[in-house]
Amino acid sequence: MSTPPTQASAADASPFDGGARWPLTLLAGSALVWLVVGSLLALLTGIQLHTPSFLADCSALTHGRAQAWRETAFLYGWAGNAGVGLGLWILGRLGGHPLRALNWAVVGTVFWNLGLLFGLIGIATGSMTGFAGLQLPRAVQPVLVAAFCAMALPGVLAWAGRKREGTYAAQWYAAAALFLLPWFWTATQAVLLWSPLRGVVQTVAASWHAQSVVALWLMPLALAAAYYVIPKQTGKLLPGYDSAPLAFWTLIVVGSWTFGRHLIGGPVPAWIPTMAVVAQCLLLFHFLVIWLNFRGAFAGGSVTLQYMRFGLVAYLLTGLAETITSFRGIAVHTQFTLFGPALEALLLQGALSMFLFGGLVHQLPRVTGRHWALPSFVSGHASLVMLGVVVSVLSLGWAGLAQDALLNHSQTPFAEILVQLKMPLLLHSAGQFALLAGNVLLLVAFLRSALSCCQAEGASVLRPASSAS
Amino acid sequence: MKNRPLFLFGLFLAVLTSWAGFVLGSHGQLGSLTPFFDEADGQSHPARLPGLAARGQAVYADLGCAACHTQQVRRPGFGSDQARGWGERQSVARDYIFHAQPQLGASRLGPDLMNLAGRKPQAPSAEELHRLLYTGSAAHPAFPFLYETREIAGEASRQAVRLTGAAAPKAGSEVVATERAQTLVAYLLNVNSGFEYPEARPLPAQSPASPEAKK
Repeated sequence: MSTPPTQASAADASPFDGGARWPLTLLAGSALVWLVVGSLLALLTGIQLHTPSFLADCSALTHGRAQAWRETAFLYGWAGNAGVGLGLWILGRLGGHPLRALNWAVVGTVFWNLGLLFGLIGIATGSMTGFAGLQLPRAVQPVLVAAFCAMALPGVLAWAGRKREGTYAAQWYAAAALFLLPWFWTATQAVLLWSPLRGVVQTVAASWHAQSVVALWLMPLALAAAYYVIPKQTGKLLPGYDSAPLAFWTLIVVGSWTFGRHLIGGPVPAWIPTMAVVAQCLLLFHFLVIWLNFRGAFAGGSVTLQYMRFGLVAYLLTGLAETITSFRGIAVHTQFTLFGPALEALLLQGALSMFLFGGLVHQLPRVTGRHWALPSFVSGHASLVMLGVVVSVLSLGWAGLAQDALLNHSQTPFAEILVQLKMPLLLHSAGQFALLAGNVLLLVAFLRSALSCCQAEGASVLRPASSAS
Repeated sequence: MKNRPLFLFGLFLAVLTSWAGFVLGSHGQLGSLTPFFDEADGQSHPARLPGLAARGQAVYADLGCAACHTQQVRRPGFGSDQARGWGERQSVARDYIFHAQPQLGASRLGPDLMNLAGRKPQAPSAEELHRLLYTGSAAHPAFPFLYETREIAGEASRQAVRLTGAAAPKAGSEVVATERAQTLVAYLLNVNSGFEYPEARPLPAQSPASPEAKK
């Protein structure tokens, strides 16, 4: 165990960040581009929910392929790039040395994003694998693992060569995420793509992977950002920090066990959904500690803390709702309805993205040494995405409940179900539109900041950036 | 967390336990399932998919049909699966042993397709499926890119999709399914889980007083 995070002033540009400026800006920039691509596709798939014929006669954009694009762009493009950028930065800062081997990170980032681009082209042209959460064509998956190893290298070196004896929660989460993804992704590829298991065991492996991508890779990166940024912004110690290691190990040990909640009643061994219920209940402890640790975020007024607050509430709500819906009696009603996508949106757009937004908005001025060029765009982004998430989660939840009555407890024809769901699904599209608009604002603000930083290159740009964020 | 090797070892152990337990565990339990030989009809079940249908599964997967359709019937009492005629029994692991890539799905924006050929009261014909895929319906998008509109050269193709109204091609042309459409429809009409395996029989309803209690 370690010393609790020390308080820090908001103006803490570190001399360590000088060399890391371009690699980290590249990661943040790629993340935001993928975010806008993902939001555009989310709007498209949202419209296809209430108007199935919308662009679906184009072979690249059938609903199934557009969903795969959206998921891939969001998880591996946006959250992956943003999370790795934040993870590297945090490990570098808390490790006490400037980041080393950043050339590797740049090469890795370039190959990662090229791999994703080719992957999306592959999905559009019919090389999608058909495993949810892992639709990338088989040819690009090993490239992505190799690229990820290169991207993660500076973080691993910073973790292994750290100066201080004690470590912080932000470091555990970031280091765990960087270490774990290549291990388990390679294992999944082996049993799904290169030497496929038989029958439904493939589904078990693919669902395990989809859960682990969120629980063992992306969420730890987002939590690392929150653990690092919240005390910096509030200037206070994290309350209940002594329990943080237990929360960490709870997530790492049982976080991947919960995938079975999607397989209730399915042709898989019955103990898998049962273990999911057990793991969900154990994870409540993780959520409790996260609440105790982060509740200080409710005290401050900066945009960064607004993101963190929203993310925290969404994270806790997802934890509770997933626990409740993992019980069979409840799953009878929610399974296969839009309630599942509602919870997924709450977790990914509500919790994961918000923690990452908070991290990015805090990180960028400190990395570039300049304030955000358009602070009003950033606060506009915060309002729009929060509104968008609330509207789309509530409307999908509403649609899910309506679908339960129509789908599970009557024999209403599907065309009729669609008519009845029109209203909530239109609302959901409106929510996705707000998200897209907000994310475009953030990208524009980022591009302006990066450009002004570029123009000032040569002059001494490293001046303390105070709390624009 | 001062101890670096222990931290890494802990991470590795945690993920290894989970992966081995779930993935290798279910492989150990289900990986060696064999077809069930039924002495009454002298056949083993499930049968392998015919070649055309087996190729259709790849089309089903790469179009992402699983985004809206499941391929798993749940046991009686779980939703309206039986009432909708999707299957008399729950799907079991043995149904999928010859599926190159099972497409269980997680969303039912459209009907379940596990047992389309055995659908009650009436299974759709290949002709109807082609028409649905080409023209779409209120709830189903059209996939015209799976079909080819061409001039009739000589005799009209027997494979041509029979279309009426606005969707009909102009005189002298016909709409013919491409190979992908043919394999897809063959696949949909061959995914069948009619045979009742011992493990698929629903458990008898529990009476309030179990036999043990009577003794």
